Amino acid sequence: MKIIFILSIFLITTSLFSQTNISGKVIDEKGKAVSGVNVFIEGTYDGSSSAEDGSFSFETSTTGNQILVASFLVFETLKTKIDVSNFQNIILKLKDNVNALDAVVITAGTFESGGKAKVSVLKPLDIVTTAGSAGNIIAALQTLPGTQNVGEDGRLFVRGGEANETQTFVDGIRVSQPYGASAQNVPTRGRFSPFLFDGISFSTGGYSAEYGEALSSVLLLNTKNEVDFNKTEISVMTVGLGLGNTQKWDKSSLSVNGSYINLAPYQYIVKQNVDWNSPFQSLSGETVYRYNFTNGILKVYAAFDSSKFDINQENINSPNKIRVNLNNNNFYFNTSYKGVFGKNWQLVSGISYGNSQNKIKVDLDDIANAENAAHFKFKVRKNLSNRIKMSFGADYFITKFGEDISSNSGTLNSIGYNSNIAAVFAESDIFFSKKLAAKVGVRFLHNDLLEESAFSPRISLAYKVAKNSQVSLAYGDFSQTPNSDYIKYSKFYEFESEKASHYILNYQFSKNGKTLIAEAYYKAYNNLVKYNTPSIQYNSDFNNDGFGFAKGLDIFWRDSESIKNLEYWISYSYIDSERNYKNFPTQATPNFIANHSLSLVTKYWIGSWKSQIGFTNSFSTARPYNNPNELEFMNGKTKAYNNLSFNWAYLLSQQKILYFSVSNVLGTQNVYGYDYAKNPNSNGVYNRSAVTPAADRFFFVGFFWTLSANKKDNQLKNL
Amino acid sequence: MTKIITTIAFFVCSLLSAQSQFEQGMGKAFQLWGQGKNSEASDMFERISAAEKTSWLPNYYVALINTTAAFQTKDKEQINLLLAKAQKALDFEMVKNPNNAELLVVQAMIHTAWIAFDPMTNGQKLSGKVMELYAKAQAIAPENPRVIFEKAEFEIGAAKFWGTDTKPMCAQIEKAIGLFATFKPETAFSPTWGLDRATVAAANCK
Repeated sequence: MKIIFILSIFLITTSLFSQTNISGKVIDEKGKAVSGVNVFIEGTYDGSSSAEDGSFSFETSTTGNQILVASFLVFETLKTKIDVSNFQNIILKLKDNVNALDAVVITAGTFESGGKAKVSVLKPLDIVTTAGSAGNIIAALQTLPGTQNVGEDGRLFVRGGEANETQTFVDGIRVSQPYGASAQNVPTRGRFSPFLFDGISFSTGGYSAEYGEALSSVLLLNTKNEVDFNKTEISVMTVGLGLGNTQKWDKSSLSVNGSYINLAPYQYIVKQNVDWNSPFQSLSGETVYRYNFTNGILKVYAAFDSSKFDINQENINSPNKIRVNLNNNNFYFNTSYKGVFGKNWQLVSGISYGNSQNKIKVDLDDIANAENAAHFKFKVRKNLSNRIKMSFGADYFITKFGEDISSNSGTLNSIGYNSNIAAVFAESDIFFSKKLAAKVGVRFLHNDLLEESAFSPRISLAYKVAKNSQVSLAYGDFSQTPNSDYIKYSKFYEFESEKASHYILNYQFSKNGKTLIAEAYYKAYNNLVKYNTPSIQYNSDFNNDGFGFAKGLDIFWRDSESIKNLEYWISYSYIDSERNYKNFPTQATPNFIANHSLSLVTKYWIGSWKSQIGFTNSFSTARPYNNPNELEFMNGKTKAYNNLSFNWAYLLSQQKILYFSVSNVLGTQNVYGYDYAKNPNSNGVYNRSAVTPAADRFFFVGFFWTLSANKKDNQLKNL
Repeated sequence: MTKIITTIAFFVCSLLSAQSQFEQGMGKAFQLWGQGKNSEASDMFERISAAEKTSWLPNYYVALINTTAAFQTKDKEQINLLLAKAQKALDFEMVKNPNNAELLVVQAMIHTAWIAFDPMTNGQKLSGKVMELYAKAQAIAPENPRVIFEKAEFEIGAAKFWGTDTKPMCAQIEKAIGLFATFKPETAFSPTWGLDRATVAAANCK
């Protein structure tokens, strides 16, 4: 009995003390020694870290077949079946982990914001702290290269594309009406309040097959996944009032905010170039609800916005000013679910619905239009391995548009269209190594209204040339339904989709807070809509014979390290673009294109003043316009454009901020273009009027106050 | 009978030896850490965590060692690696134990290291989260000296910036020092660190 007991202890202890040596060397794919690798026998404590020369050696008490693990963050964990008695001086070769932070990323054409350490061109706060942006996401993006400054419009014009060639997506789901309503030559702004989003990706070309119905660009906005704590936010501004509240529960949270904007006080103080009968007013509200499931997150986003204004616009064709009265009601609803299931599967799905109603009185005519748009989408993604990721999905877009024009003479014209587009897409990301990656995708769509199908391939490649730099190439075919100004007349003409192809060569360098991006591109347009009348009307003679091109170079430089407390970026764009579309008699450069654009954005933090001071200077060279007094089409050139904006955020205390901003500090008299009379005057000359900003300057003063149990949060991000 | 006794003896012995193996392993890892061999210590804890799925401590120390090392490093790439490693280890345990105050403190420290990494980008994004984590930890373990001390230290940074009074935080640090004296760790390897740093911070208060 005793003997057995002692024997058993003896057995166990001997088994503990019979040790075998395991040794070898760890190298990477290039044969270089790797130090600091944790090498051990799975399920035991036996192991060691590899030394400077990659060598490791340790004793183990295990016997027989075991699994040897070699783990180090930037490499894929290697598991080898070994026979303990026979594992000395063996070489372990580690494969690069392509998901590591220093791996190549496919970046051609994309500016990203977000991420804690990755190269971020725009940081989340930039949207609101860029002078001149006044909290408008779109205005902040206009300081990036590849965009055109079209002050009389306010929308995004990307690389020779019209504004409607950019589509906006919230959580992957399309926003049918991303901009506020506006009248001709009165700039609009983005509908979304920037503080609801924490990731923004702006692609100026060559984007993923997941997105369609955009010839030039996609803007992807992702709402925040989580909020920090309960809080109430109050803003008092020279242009209106805002109120917001956030509630957080265990698994869910709700944010609601509302604002009332009235430009009357501003218009009273600052001399206006436009004659306002009733100032711009808007009442808007947004709400986001988030619910966290064990394996996913559900988000519901809804926004309502009602705005109106009434102006007398000078019109070169009439001796009296023309009165424009606009009422817009907009509702947008978006719900999305993102989650994981099974083994390495990810699901993203969502629905959006947008309703926009305009009531416009132009002089004595009444125009009422309504657009109802919906988007259904699902996408699944599967990681086949660490190196291959597949995704595929489907889209369904529904658009119903109706317009009634009742003219003073009593005639009523009703037009409209229903468009249904179904699309499927598939894409895969392939990492050949940590240095070389490719993204290959296709998109296939069928458009009911146009009775056509299209197949669009997309491909991009990225190669890391050195530790801090990489080169990318991208190619893609893109198609888009002609905009509603045309297809509302599809009763009279069978339109076809407009098409574009993008070719992009991108170089990116990034090191210690400095980023350089240089991108050369060529875009070919075809199938653009043409018509033969001075303006678009039902009896215009339409065809799809238009074409054009855009080529250019975009350069971006950002530096936040060289000078203490200063962040700045410089964007330069060169573009050469011509088109023969619309009612152009010949191929010419459209009036929204300036050949050279330069933006400089600076932000300087003065600790002792508790202030951030920012300047933004935007410059662009002359834009073309057509002067009917001259023989050659689009022969006129405006003068160059310049705008220097300034802002100052003063933190009164942790929860109170005073904010001041002014645009066009220098009072530059900018001219965007000229409107010419339809008919010549008695001397045979076409008169003209200059298209200028509604006011030379915009002033803004605001006070932002956050009430929460947590004393550290403030609304700096709202500004 | 002999069979049963043998089995019991065998079972008890294996339990005993397993127990001592854990203690031995943890002891060795602490020794390495004490010698300043951070990555070896972290690797040792990592090996223990791979073998002992039931204890949260090995992963806790992997996270703590790497986070502390990140604060002492200037090389941005290295910080990135250390914090990624810390976060990965912590995530393992947070899923199992979302209401463990010691884990919450380390999570707050990781976020604080990210704020130091790039204040412009991460300050606004994470400082709220840090405060939330400390508030949660304090609700769970109001008498834990590390919770009180780390929270006060984070608040002092902000108070200095605003030029507001740091007295309330200093009082909290003093309170933490008192609690360190009476704090009873649950096991021999449970966290006990923090007194030396709190003493330095308290000296800076004066």
